[in-house]
Amino acid sequence: MNWREAFLRQARSENSVRNRLNDPQIEYSHRLHYLQMDTEKLAKGYRAPPNDYDHSPQVHTGFVRFLQTLKGNISIRGILRYGPGPGFNLFIDSLLDLATKIEQLAPSAAGLTKPNPEYPLRDIGTGEIRAPVDYDFPGFSPRELSMIRMEALIRQLLPIQN
Amino acid sequence: MAKDDVEKQAKYLAAENKKNDPDIGKVYWFPDETEVRLVEVHSNVPVSPDGEIEPFYFRSDPIHDLPVPSGIALIRPEEVRRVRLPAKWGNWDLAKEIG
Repeated sequence: MNWREAFLRQARSENSVRNRLNDPQIEYSHRLHYLQMDTEKLAKGYRAPPNDYDHSPQVHTGFVRFLQTLKGNISIRGILRYGPGPGFNLFIDSLLDLATKIEQLAPSAAGLTKPNPEYPLRDIGTGEIRAPVDYDFPGFSPRELSMIRMEALIRQLLPIQN
Repeated sequence: MAKDDVEKQAKYLAAENKKNDPDIGKVYWFPDETEVRLVEVHSNVPVSPDGEIEPFYFRSDPIHDLPVPSGIALIRPEEVRRVRLPAKWGNWDLAKEIG
């Protein structure tokens, strides 16, 4: 297995775990944690050249840039059943704000004051220390259209054998 | 694969990408005989971490007239000739502007 295959295999597995966490008894932060990790692995997989066994991709953030790169990708546009019109680009554009927010969920990007789904933080507004499992994560509701679209895109991208 | 064929695909991809994303300005091609290597200048992408680009790589797709694999990186205008390229891509002096 090369780096590309390994990252994409991990992304598929993390997505599978994430789906199993889709249970109202389980705190939502855990699904977001897996969403952040899953999208990071997906982007990293495509950063690894096919058949490269030597160099593991090092950049941790890259999901936004990955989606932006997809806009001109004829192959993936076709796999996702979009025609040559602007539909695919509009679809990707509609997800970039959410993709940015997902990238910023990584503890290394969130820092000590922005919410992340993995480590406790001090709420800037109240000064209270909170665990991610108790945080609401507004803007990431599974019922929001952008989240539904993002789920659909990830579900379609992960099975692609690259 | 002949270098001319790789160049043909590079120009095709550059044109397609510019057509599909109006935020793409210049496109630089780094010639190679085995894969298309493109750096596309984009006015609305995050800064390259660590001053180094890591392209995204895509397999060949002959059905869509893409007979060789491709590596594509998006960078900001101020990063042209400043960010480091992947070692196998050589240096900025090899860049050919194709779009």
